[in-house]
Amino acid sequence: MFMRYRKLMIVVSILLVLILAFVYISIDKPIDFTLQVKPIINKNCITCHGGVRQKSGFSLLFREEALGPTKSGKPAIIPGDADHSEIMRRLTLHDPEERMPYKHDPLSKENIDIIRRWINEGAHWGKHWAYVPVTKVDVPELRTFFNLFPKKSEWAQNPVDNFIEQKLEENDLKPSPQAEKEVLLRRISLDLIGMPAPEHLAKKFLDDSSYHGYADLVDSLLASPHYGEKWAGMWMDVARYADTKGYEKDEARTMWKYRDWLIRAFNDDKSYDQFLTEQIAGDLLPDATDEQFIATVFHRNTMTNDEGGTDNEEFRTSAVIDRVNTTWDGIMGTTFGCVQCHSHPYDPFKHDEYYKFLAFFNNTRDEDTQDDYPLLRDYNDTLQAELSKVVDWFRQNASQQKAKEAYTFLKTWQPSYNTTVCDSFTNSVLGDPTWIIFRNNAVCRMKNIDLNNKQNLIFRYGGFYDGGVWKIHLDSANGEVIADIPLPKTKNDGWEWKIEEADLKPVNATHDLYFTYSNPNLKNSMNTGVRIDWLYFTDPFPGKGHKDYVVMKNEFWKLLQAKVPTTPVMMENPSFMHRASYVFERGNWLVKGKKVEPDVPNSLNPFPTNAPRNRLGLAMWLTSKQNPLTARAMVNRIWEQLFGAGLAETLEDLGSQGIPPTHPELLNWLSYQFMNEFNWSIKKLIRTVVLSATYRQDSKVSKELLQKDPNNKLYARNSRIRLSAEQIRDQALCISGIMSNKMYGPSVYPFQPKGLWLSPYNNTDWKLSPGEDQYRRALYTFWKRSAPYPSMVTFDGVARNVCTSRRIRTNTPLQALTTLNDSAYIDMARHFAYRLQNEGGTEIKQQIAKGYQLATYHAIDGKSLAALLELYNTAHDQFKNNAEKTCEIVGGMGKHTNAETAALVVVANALLNLDEVIMRN
Amino acid sequence: MTQKEHNQKLVAEAQKGVLQLHTRRHFLKESAMGLGALALGSLFGCGSKPSSNDVVFDPAHPLMPKLPPFPGRAKSVIYLHMAGAPSQLELFDYKPELMKMDGQNCPQSLLEGKRFAFIRGVPKMLGPQAKFAQHGESRAWISENMPHLSTIADEISFLKAVTTDQFNHAPAQLMMHTGSPRLGRPSLGSWVTYGLGTENQNLPGFVVLTSGGQNPDAGKSVWGSGFLPSVYQGVQCRSVGDPVLFIKDPEGMDRDLRKASINAINKVNQQQYEVFNDPEILSRISQYEMAYKMQISVPEVMTIANEPQYIHDMYGTKPGKESFANNVLLARKLVEKGVRFVQLFDWGWDSHGSSSDDALDIGLINKCRQVDKCITALILDLKQRGLLEETLVVWGGEFGRTPMQENREGKKMPYKGRDHHTEAFTIWMAGGGIKKGFTYGETDEIGYSAISGKVEPFDIQATILNQLGFDHEQFTYHFQGRPFRLTDTKGRVISEIIG
Repeated sequence: MFMRYRKLMIVVSILLVLILAFVYISIDKPIDFTLQVKPIINKNCITCHGGVRQKSGFSLLFREEALGPTKSGKPAIIPGDADHSEIMRRLTLHDPEERMPYKHDPLSKENIDIIRRWINEGAHWGKHWAYVPVTKVDVPELRTFFNLFPKKSEWAQNPVDNFIEQKLEENDLKPSPQAEKEVLLRRISLDLIGMPAPEHLAKKFLDDSSYHGYADLVDSLLASPHYGEKWAGMWMDVARYADTKGYEKDEARTMWKYRDWLIRAFNDDKSYDQFLTEQIAGDLLPDATDEQFIATVFHRNTMTNDEGGTDNEEFRTSAVIDRVNTTWDGIMGTTFGCVQCHSHPYDPFKHDEYYKFLAFFNNTRDEDTQDDYPLLRDYNDTLQAELSKVVDWFRQNASQQKAKEAYTFLKTWQPSYNTTVCDSFTNSVLGDPTWIIFRNNAVCRMKNIDLNNKQNLIFRYGGFYDGGVWKIHLDSANGEVIADIPLPKTKNDGWEWKIEEADLKPVNATHDLYFTYSNPNLKNSMNTGVRIDWLYFTDPFPGKGHKDYVVMKNEFWKLLQAKVPTTPVMMENPSFMHRASYVFERGNWLVKGKKVEPDVPNSLNPFPTNAPRNRLGLAMWLTSKQNPLTARAMVNRIWEQLFGAGLAETLEDLGSQGIPPTHPELLNWLSYQFMNEFNWSIKKLIRTVVLSATYRQDSKVSKELLQKDPNNKLYARNSRIRLSAEQIRDQALCISGIMSNKMYGPSVYPFQPKGLWLSPYNNTDWKLSPGEDQYRRALYTFWKRSAPYPSMVTFDGVARNVCTSRRIRTNTPLQALTTLNDSAYIDMARHFAYRLQNEGGTEIKQQIAKGYQLATYHAIDGKSLAALLELYNTAHDQFKNNAEKTCEIVGGMGKHTNAETAALVVVANALLNLDEVIMRN
Repeated sequence: MTQKEHNQKLVAEAQKGVLQLHTRRHFLKESAMGLGALALGSLFGCGSKPSSNDVVFDPAHPLMPKLPPFPGRAKSVIYLHMAGAPSQLELFDYKPELMKMDGQNCPQSLLEGKRFAFIRGVPKMLGPQAKFAQHGESRAWISENMPHLSTIADEISFLKAVTTDQFNHAPAQLMMHTGSPRLGRPSLGSWVTYGLGTENQNLPGFVVLTSGGQNPDAGKSVWGSGFLPSVYQGVQCRSVGDPVLFIKDPEGMDRDLRKASINAINKVNQQQYEVFNDPEILSRISQYEMAYKMQISVPEVMTIANEPQYIHDMYGTKPGKESFANNVLLARKLVEKGVRFVQLFDWGWDSHGSSSDDALDIGLINKCRQVDKCITALILDLKQRGLLEETLVVWGGEFGRTPMQENREGKKMPYKGRDHHTEAFTIWMAGGGIKKGFTYGETDEIGYSAISGKVEPFDIQATILNQLGFDHEQFTYHFQGRPFRLTDTKGRVISEIIG
């Protein structure tokens, strides 16, 4: 009896399970707009019905547009009623003239069904995955038997693997075994510090027979100072870092302190939200430090055009636009540039929103001037101490506010008016348009100058003749004179600049100023008497009458005139210099439309309440945990650095036209952890990824797997990746034993062939750096925009004119020629050969084996050794009978000038060219 | 099967493999335009337009030769860019009326609302600084500055009403070659190389030669690949130093030893392949073999020493000298060997009148002497070799020059010169399916602005692409979330000059 029931129970339960399973499988889930409908729309409809083009008044970009009336008066989509929706009729017609998509093949039956069901279900709109804030994600469990029972993973090391393994199971794939230790060591070293690990770390890891030391190795590498160098290199592409200004003359400027800031920021594991805030708005932080100002170089890496006859405002505008685009491409992984000219064709951004966003960046002091003002002045310790004294003086004798202003002015010469903003010229001109030039009886105008409480003028000028007088008039060339300033000749025949001051008659209002200049010594009406660079309106030096007044005022002027190193930085306009922002009609900066105030696009997270409407507020918005893009874009970027491709392949476009992520849940999980669990720590994020079993997998691939997953989208192995230009150079320097450990400082000039720098009107040349500076890591190489270092470009380095989110790796014969023949690489091969003779034992076989082991960490196989030995013998046979060639290949006469070394140089050159060395397994 | 044959077979297999398997996007495109399109390319075209002729980009074999979407008239292009912008008013655009106004103040109507690079206040008009005559059956006006070119007027189509919107050199050169005045877009030659690959695998597909002692104002960006993979950037060949960077073996390593070393590298790589199975390794093996072949063929094609004397006489070339003429002769050799796009830049055409070198009546005449004979020789030489019909030759600058004399900073200039001018200039084309002895477009009677047949850089680009077999509206590359075109949202094929 009991047995009978039990049997029945079993049968019933099985039936129940089967029924449930059937129901579970067969019940249609509601249509997901983002996953199912939007791709159909983007592929087939949006070109004519969205954004720019709205044929027949119908657009599918926003729900309110899609449901609204079309040109015919009736709506194309009626939620809940597909049968009466015009769109369904049009999709199913037979007449090709009327059927949609117009003049294209009809949609498939499946796609039409999806749209019909979607409309019947209410035509609900959905947000694209990347525009939805990141929320907590559950780590998937493996399940077995109709997904009913959880199963423990034998493989997973951390949650990253659970996501990967789930997808592998779905695709009937198994993960690869852990890579050999030698492979893993080389991989993790190149990935974390961009070069082979220091010897002691490598030895410690390899000597241990287990893998237990892996986590320690990871931690040691993350703590290495070289870690910052590798990751700064990555960010320098995003930040379009270069050592020159770009465009025609492409002159050098000092930006390297920003590169050093990046290295330190990565090494200190500055939290990513702070990292971004300082770069976007470091100057606006309370009591901003020099370092925080240097961080803002991020957006001063825009190009400056010094070509004669250019319009400074045009190129200032162009720099501001570049700042907007870089903020979106680089930090939010979203293409925003399209919106510059028209509303976005695919993504929910409107034309106006571009210019509202631009308004955040449009109010900075820089104006495409020759000297790249504003500049941060870097005082040495002595001067810095004097600066503190002067600032204290202001605090005691004027006010806290005046002290702050004095500090800012001495540190930056700001806020000053550049004379490039002058207009209405008579006998005066903007010379090549960098500053105003006065001839005899000159007049020009500077509009809208706030003279409230300004009784002192500090200005920078160069005078070519004695005897000139400069007068400042109010509102017309004949207006009231508020200053009458003699301008004597300056040093070096007038070519030297001088900073001077003059008293101003009190006015206390805003006026147009008219400048006049006359000089009886200027006989030739075409000769220039004087040039003026900038004007700073202020109060007289405080504390008059005090016994230290003269001393302190002298200190002030000493600091002001001091010739100190400078770096271009971002600085906000004070309110009296505020620059209004306008929509540019169809993207044309000369056609200004309606005025706009700073704001962020409606479709993303709201602007934080209480945040200031400036770059600092913008940084708060960017780093808000509600911002759906910032964390995702960075996680995706880090993943790309470690696996060769992002989880979403298009790093620069997470929008609806980008390639969707292979593992969206994993991307979300990591992004959530990054913000909430890791507190934006990049090191913790990297650590999590590289400790995963996924990362540790071997990169060997079977024919079957290659066929099933050629581009490794499922991660059943780790990818083989061609090293970056930087890694190739740095690794070769390390292998050869000549890598300089020097960090930071001005950019260096390693070997480069002659005659590559030929910028017009610019006579600078590449001067080979002396000593160890030739052997510095690649990121210290001087980066000239119009002629970047050739081997870097050959290996897919980018020109760094604009933000580049990812490099596309290619494989070309020119790359082979570089590592085979570039003198820099021959030099490395020589040192490599010397090293092998010193460290590799006496036998040539041993030396070659040692070389292979140094380059790859593991032992050479018999066939490869035979091939390299044969090369050695061929070379040796040649060199032993040819003293001249021997001398040439080792680079001169000396202790190394013998056939053995010469032949080994040839082998070393080959070793540096092996696929296994150029790739990371 | 020898090792080499074996490798080749493997490479072929890998190529096929890689082609089939790509990112999703490329896969979708391939189904319409992939391998099949290579064979069936000519079936498209009339009537049924392919939805896109996006090219298949194969990172392992980025330079594999490809057919254009429709059969083009030209196989290759030689683009002669006179950097600095030559004066149309002293070369091709004859304006006797301007002579009558010589020395008079420029009428206000020509200045209002205009922006010039250097002219300030009211400049004086400046009459043509050269004598003109009509030449050939086409009766084309050509000045005495180009006496040789005058003899082949009937081979050329002149575009007399070219305009641009950039009046500074660097942005205008970028506009002409990349379709945008800002840095960051691919150059014309890069687009072509991306679309067509390299015919001769032993030579780069896109070669750049510069003369005049300076790079063009916009630097290497005018032959840069912008957002296209960097493999498509122009390869600068030089007549001094290595013809291509790093093409020469290191001192002390002879050819045999280099061969031996590449063999050894490839043998070790072969071992690597057997372990890892990664087709990229096979591709690297073939790239090293190709590098070796390039080392032989590039120096061969990049020397003019072996050319017969009559050719030197014809071009006015002197082996071993750095000159535009030498570059022009090299361009012919490169095209002959299957290079698709040869871009020449000659520096020194910026005739402001601030020194004798940039005076219209001194410097410009000297520059013309440097280019007139060799360019004429190029056209005749291509013709006698039967190459002119399939080689498009383009000549021009980045903008034109003002009918007014420049008055920099409001001053009188020491020499006769003209400022930058965007509203009218001349570009000419010959060969490659372009009409012979034809003139299109006209400027007003003083050569200030275009009055008919106005074209802009986008139209020139569209026309060049058209001659090579591309529809400029369909030829796109996906970047930052949208398809980009060389011609952006503009461009019209100048069908009037197509033969």
